[in-house]
Amino acid sequence: MSTADERATARPPHASDHSAAGLPHLAGDDGVLLRATDLRLAYGAREILHGATLEVRRGEFWFLLGGNGSGKTTFLRALLGIVKPRAGRLWLSPELRGREGIGFVPQHSEINASLPTTIREFVSLGLVGLRVPRSERGARVTRAIERVGLGALAGRDYWALSGGQRQRALVARGLVREPLLLILDEPMNHLDPDAEESLLGDLVALNRRDGLALLLVTHDVAMAERHATHVATFSRGNVTTRAVDPAGGAA
Amino acid sequence: MIHDFVASWSLFRDSYLAGWLLALLLPMLGVLVVARDQIFVGAAVSQASLLGIASALRAAAWLSLAGVTWLDGDLVVSVSAGAFAILAALATAGGAGRGDSHESITGFVFLVSSSAAVLLMAHSPHGMEEINRLLSSTLIGATPVDVGVFALLLTLTAVTLALRGAELVLVVMDHEMAEAVGVRVDLWNGVLAVWLGLVVGLSNRVAGAIFTFGCLVLPALAARSFCREVRAMLWVAPVASLATAGVAFVVAHDLDFPPGQTTAFAQCMLLVAAWAARFVRARRGGA
Repeated sequence: MSTADERATARPPHASDHSAAGLPHLAGDDGVLLRATDLRLAYGAREILHGATLEVRRGEFWFLLGGNGSGKTTFLRALLGIVKPRAGRLWLSPELRGREGIGFVPQHSEINASLPTTIREFVSLGLVGLRVPRSERGARVTRAIERVGLGALAGRDYWALSGGQRQRALVARGLVREPLLLILDEPMNHLDPDAEESLLGDLVALNRRDGLALLLVTHDVAMAERHATHVATFSRGNVTTRAVDPAGGAA
Repeated sequence: MIHDFVASWSLFRDSYLAGWLLALLLPMLGVLVVARDQIFVGAAVSQASLLGIASALRAAAWLSLAGVTWLDGDLVVSVSAGAFAILAALATAGGAGRGDSHESITGFVFLVSSSAAVLLMAHSPHGMEEINRLLSSTLIGATPVDVGVFALLLTLTAVTLALRGAELVLVVMDHEMAEAVGVRVDLWNGVLAVWLGLVVGLSNRVAGAIFTFGCLVLPALAARSFCREVRAMLWVAPVASLATAGVAFVVAHDLDFPPGQTTAFAQCMLLVAAWAARFVRARRGGA
């Protein structure tokens, strides 16, 4: 494609898209949440990704691996609609309701540390942009906080939390949108090993128990091999994808 | 004390009303400024509006020599104050991140506005008097039009915060998340800059720099210590500001003090009380 063609439409994916993509799990379109086909992303004249192709389905756990500056975060920003593709196709399932069905968890919160906020208020900010009835908002926030195990701390000061608990609050802010796909940008950064393992356990539970599709950026290859259903490796502007055998190793 | 104040109502009604409307309006925007930890923006924008006033007065003086007199009016001065303040707010909002920090742009705007305003008026005794009057803050001279304009600005601001408060809070607290959920962050930043410039510029024209800057940031800073959530700050700050200004106006009238400075000083004391309350709370929490 010669021009940018980012679409979030109800158009079903074509079989020809699959064969061109060379993706794992191409038996059918059931449960496909998003499909990036030959996506080219750039900031100004500098092209960051030269053609990313991958397909994410319900219940999959994708790990995005790659060095700094390899384009992982830019790819996430394209999925979130912040960066417009220079070329290629980004298809989003109608189930995602535009992008309302996508949750996002950034590396860390940018909030000015001198501002007062509770976990409830912090998580409720994830509802911005959604048309959720006022009566339903409180229940959604409570559910999201409980899903990450912070239910007993909901009214507490956000800044009184440990680093690991703050990361869980960030995950809850993504979950409050009740997404089908949760995108996480290096959520384990700055966490000690115990907090990292605990947060990862929560994410695995969300994936296995609730069937939530996860797309997680990390540098940790070993973690990916243990928990991923799929891995996308970003290197020098190119992306290679593979399915991972649950017993270990590539499928 | 109260009786004397009520007796002065007919004489100073517009000044009191303009001051109280500003005491409600400025902290609503001040919470957003404080949330970004960009407090000095208020001072820089305020000084820029002063430069706008000085420019209008200087232009009017030059043009009157050529027989053009229509520029010598209050409306032109107010428009110029607002326009310069808006430009300054846009410059501080958009200038950062291109090689200079936000603080450096804000500091530049503050200093160039302060110095240029005085230089423009240096050889104009009447103009210099006007600049000094605005720098020292006085509410005397507010008109019914000023009261109407501030009431309109207050209504628009309150309605926007009521309808889009969560969106605005997210934009100023965490712009990355705001972008990720589809909020048009650049558009909101532009709207906020223009609105801040307009309100601060017009307020500075009527009430002066100390009252304007004080009402913008001090109640919001105090609310930050009193409140547990940012959204509570959006109504606690204006209410605290109005209460402080109400008491300050009465005291200023009784002691024959300037109301602008009295209000700013009272709000400083409110902030000290808020800090003390936070300290006590922290000690109790840590005990």
